[in-house]
Amino acid sequence: MEPVNLRWAGYVGAIFGTAIVTASLAPFHEQINSTTVALTFLLVVLFVALFWGSRPALLASVLGVLCLNFFFLPPLYTLSIAHPQNWVALTAFFTTALAVGQLSARAKRRAEEAEEGRREIERLYQELQAVFERASQAEALRQSERLKSALLDAVTHDLRTPLTSIKASITTLLDEVRGRSQEEQLVTLDSESRLEMMEVIDEESDRLNRFIGGLIELARIEAGELRLRRRWGTVDEIISTALARAEPLTQGHKVEVEIEPELPVVRVDERAVSEVVYTLIDNATKYSPDSAKISITAQRSDDGTIMMAVEDQGEGVAVPLRERVFDKFFRATRDGDISTHQPSGTGMGLAIAKGIVEAHEGKIWIESGRGGKGTRVMFTLPIGDEDITEESEHSAAVAAKSL
Amino acid sequence: MNEKSRILVVDDEPQLTRVLRTGLKSRGYDVRAAADGLAGFETFSDWQPDLVITDLAMPNMDGLELCRRLRSISQVPIIILSAKGEEKIKVEALDLGADDFVTKPFGIDELLARVRASLRRANAPPSNETTQTVLEEGDFHVDLESRNVTVRGRDIRLTPKEFDLLIYFINHSGKVLTHHTLLAAVWGGDYVEQDQYLRVFVGNLRKKLETNPASPRYILTEPWVGYRFSPNE
Repeated sequence: MEPVNLRWAGYVGAIFGTAIVTASLAPFHEQINSTTVALTFLLVVLFVALFWGSRPALLASVLGVLCLNFFFLPPLYTLSIAHPQNWVALTAFFTTALAVGQLSARAKRRAEEAEEGRREIERLYQELQAVFERASQAEALRQSERLKSALLDAVTHDLRTPLTSIKASITTLLDEVRGRSQEEQLVTLDSESRLEMMEVIDEESDRLNRFIGGLIELARIEAGELRLRRRWGTVDEIISTALARAEPLTQGHKVEVEIEPELPVVRVDERAVSEVVYTLIDNATKYSPDSAKISITAQRSDDGTIMMAVEDQGEGVAVPLRERVFDKFFRATRDGDISTHQPSGTGMGLAIAKGIVEAHEGKIWIESGRGGKGTRVMFTLPIGDEDITEESEHSAAVAAKSL
Repeated sequence: MNEKSRILVVDDEPQLTRVLRTGLKSRGYDVRAAADGLAGFETFSDWQPDLVITDLAMPNMDGLELCRRLRSISQVPIIILSAKGEEKIKVEALDLGADDFVTKPFGIDELLARVRASLRRANAPPSNETTQTVLEEGDFHVDLESRNVTVRGRDIRLTPKEFDLLIYFINHSGKVLTHHTLLAAVWGGDYVEQDQYLRVFVGNLRKKLETNPASPRYILTEPWVGYRFSPNE
């Protein structure tokens, strides 16, 4: 079990230890009582057993007996013993030495085995940990691949849907122009239908363009390239710009605007923030019934920010989805099991809104509307007291990370 | 057509239903649209259309479930609108009894051709299979009793399984047949996973029937889905 040189070291140690004890005690054998000598030899046996195991301890015991007899028990310098009493003492010493040697060697072996066991467990544990780590890395990779392919699916679906309508309309128009009539099927397209097909093409081209615009904006936010052009402006102006743009959407709804009087001016990228408000109004019209109320509010909040909210009376967003709706391409109407007949959006509006708000060091979140019904999307804008133009790029990068 | 055929379009994309409604109406069909499977199923029950065109991914009830429900009450032809990447679900729909599919984006002519073919199959007088002994379809002439097959006037010798497969193809001309459907019909339910059987037999049939087996004109491959038989070259 032990390496050979270690065992030799043990035997050498046994010889050496016994020799040293003999050499140092022999000159004083008259002053020292033989019990002390015997105990000192026992000590040697003990040490040898602890360091090198049972066999060197056996050697130390034998040497101890011989030396004790030869150098310390009368008659000195012979291996004969005068007193029968000393025979007993010698036998007792030898037995004790043997037992001490064996026991301590065994104890040492046990300790070593225990240590070995502990090390083995530690090694196994580390190995397991490494395996787990690799597995979780692989899992993370798989998940990110899955996410990527889900995103790709979402994008291709959004590109293909308008394309499908465009292609179907254009081929309908083409067939009529070419005057094709198969199997005696008469192609009759009145001017109203013709107009309708062209309208579809027009609208769906716009939709494609909006989608691509959104993709570019998202990519910009994610790359940390959203550059805010901060200027002093008023909340009134931001909201009215968004409302003017949203007018075609809000005709069927009742829009209420409530802005706290004497709000401080803000130093923001007005175009971007107005885009956020527009997105929220767009969502509110999309996901709440016609003629329902949409209220837009702006007020100063306690922590020195300006808080804006857009609230509708729609079905609301379930609590577990309130974070996820800010994920890009996530659509509560499609992915979140909310059944609605409304056309769903691109799944990018809120993700872009979040990017813009966070680039302004603000926060955006969703609550239930008043009375626990509907959706209220809120966001904060810090009041721009200081010039933080330099920081805006940095904050865009921060926002990008959180997307 | 003395009476307008009725077509039900089920899709959650309002712009597309708008186009299809106009496009199909201009060809003399009577069209109604529904925005999801549930509404589609209700409209079907009320209106009893002659054909259903349905999208696959929809809220409330998807196209698959709609196919399942429709098949439990009716043999109405069903055409599926599917996108590339939806092969698996498309095959599932065909196995559930859908008749055909069109891949988005599609031209209106493609859809119209499928609509006409499906309506024609559905309106064909039911062949009285117990007494019918001769099949005449396009280039094919099959005597079911003597099991003689003639293609373009040429006699062809077929093994019994090849014969069964051909008869199934001829009886379902123009329809998309999934691997699953063909295996279950010709070999029986235990063989539905044995795609390679089918490949071998279709290969053999093509060698015997087609003018140029490398570019088949009768037994057409529908990639990832199955085959479609056309009795005319």
